[in-house]
Amino acid sequence: MDRRVFLTGLVCFAGVAPAEAGDETIRLRNFYNKDQSFSDYAVSMQGTRVAVSGFMAPPLKADSQFFVLTSRPMAVCPFCETSADWPDDILAVYTKRVFDVAPFNVPIVTHGTLELGTYKDPETGFVSRVRIVNAIYDRS
Amino acid sequence: MKRSLIAATALVAFSTASFAQDVAQKDSKWFTDALAKIQEMSIRQPITAKAKNVILFTADGNGVGTNYATRLFVGQQKGGLGEEYVLPYEQFPNLALVKTYNTNAQTPDSAPTASAMNTGVKSKFSTINVSENAVASDCSTLAGNELTTFAELMEKAGKSVGVISTARITHATPAAVYVNTVDRDWEDNTGIPEDCAQKDIADQLAEAMKSGRVDVAMGGGRRHFFPTDVTDEEGKGGKRTDGRNLIEELKGSGAQYAWDEESFKALTTGNNAPIIGLFESSHMKYEHDRTGEPSIAEMTEAAIKAMAGNENGYYLVVEAGRVDHANHDGNLHRTLTDGAAFAEAVALADQLTNDEDTLIIVTADHEHAIAFNGYCGRGSPITGLCYEIDDAGEKHLDTLNMADDGKPYTVAGFLNGPGAVLVKGEDEKFTAPEGRQTVTQEEATDPDYIQQAMIPLSSETHSGEDVAVYAKGPWAHLFDGTVEQNYIFHVMNHAVNAQ
Ligand SMILES: [Zn+2]
Repeated sequence: MDRRVFLTGLVCFAGVAPAEAGDETIRLRNFYNKDQSFSDYAVSMQGTRVAVSGFMAPPLKADSQFFVLTSRPMAVCPFCETSADWPDDILAVYTKRVFDVAPFNVPIVTHGTLELGTYKDPETGFVSRVRIVNAIYDRS
Repeated sequence: MKRSLIAATALVAFSTASFAQDVAQKDSKWFTDALAKIQEMSIRQPITAKAKNVILFTADGNGVGTNYATRLFVGQQKGGLGEEYVLPYEQFPNLALVKTYNTNAQTPDSAPTASAMNTGVKSKFSTINVSENAVASDCSTLAGNELTTFAELMEKAGKSVGVISTARITHATPAAVYVNTVDRDWEDNTGIPEDCAQKDIADQLAEAMKSGRVDVAMGGGRRHFFPTDVTDEEGKGGKRTDGRNLIEELKGSGAQYAWDEESFKALTTGNNAPIIGLFESSHMKYEHDRTGEPSIAEMTEAAIKAMAGNENGYYLVVEAGRVDHANHDGNLHRTLTDGAAFAEAVALADQLTNDEDTLIIVTADHEHAIAFNGYCGRGSPITGLCYEIDDAGEKHLDTLNMADDGKPYTVAGFLNGPGAVLVKGEDEKFTAPEGRQTVTQEEATDPDYIQQAMIPLSSETHSGEDVAVYAKGPWAHLFDGTVEQNYIFHVMNHAVNAQ
């Protein structure tokens, strides 16, 4: 799929749930209500393939199959402080393969299957509330 | 508030004083508004009574440029074109420009700038309330270099002391109310070198509250107050490795503790019990994202009401700490929504106090590398793209100004930061093979948009450019011209001691 299609989808989305999964790019904020509970949209999309736009936070380690997608560039390395400094609206991304690291400030779109609910990664100890698994990403 | 009523009455009496001149534009609103301002200024009287209360408002990183953007943003949110809007503190009678540099830094950081306001002298980058002879992060240079703070003087004068921040309460600006430290990062015991006798910042706050030097402290930064093996109300771990739980210690000594909106509303005032509010593990939320915690205006109101019962008065420092953080992120929308929340807090404090006995000072510690493009028509959205000027009308045309690369550009941008046009390629080189990113008005005005920047840096920087100081109340007229930042302390100190 052409990357420009995603960008267009992003602009048109404006908070309304898309009619069909996979055709449109959504934002991290669309997964949450104002009080940080999961939105109806997030609940309805559980277990389906989604495309989410955002930025790749500097990964925990090299040659990994895990990164964190943030809604805005992570200006400061969060591992230099503590996990508490992550923004509330992040997405844990488990990729299909070892991936190339994207610069923290280059917009990307990740595609994968949406999972909701608190999960602690046994390897890194990273706790996430929302994940996409079996994921790939494109620079948007 | 009372003061302006008196001025308005006098204004009517003076309005006959305008002299008869034949000026073609004399009926223009610009002309008559300015005449009214002349009359207001010409009868203005300084307040030379002793100040009972002092409130020092700091919006971190809110220099003249950032504040200009907030003015337009709030004006546009209120339905105007924006440029004509006047922020609450911009209506204050007295103003000066402030030089913010540190003794060893052209570009300042928040530690020595807050220190200058609280001690009356400038000092070195990264240090708080120690003399310029101390060396940053060198524990051995603390002894003998600790400075007397304004809060200590106020406590001796029998006043209450309060400190509020939307950043961590242990962050540089609020810390300057109650610490002496050679390193602003020593927020809990983990940062302090082993053989160093200096107490960490959270510990110094707890000590100040137990001893009665600080009566009210509200902000974020809960994690610095309890041990790593304890989780807080929101399930997050502590940072302390000395086993101490300062929250429990404070509660044990009679303090009231709040950690969310509900416990904040349950705080009682008038019983003289110290109040500690720690509403987030790290910084409090940006106003744009705020949920489940009080606003800066609500915290300001609670602090004023808690301390107003002291007949000797109070010293209150209120920091909008995250105007700075959003600027560092290059995300102007959150800078301005936090700036707007700050302005509401100032307006509320003004309403709750009396000009005759309360000196209110509104300033910033430093500016950022923010800059503004032209030539934009009236009402161009301050976070968005720059529209062309309408030669025949007032509001901008609907056509965008284009740069030489054929792309539109935002009104505001940053000289450096994460929005850099040059990005790192796979060969580690910074390039922009397709030029600047094309941006639409909808994308640029999105709350998550990062303004474009020139120099690539992961975090946008402060700048050494001047900030303004606005003031009203007793001795506010001592602010005039261009002043050194440490002069702010001296105005406060003069005002509370005036005979
Ligand atoms: Zn800063």
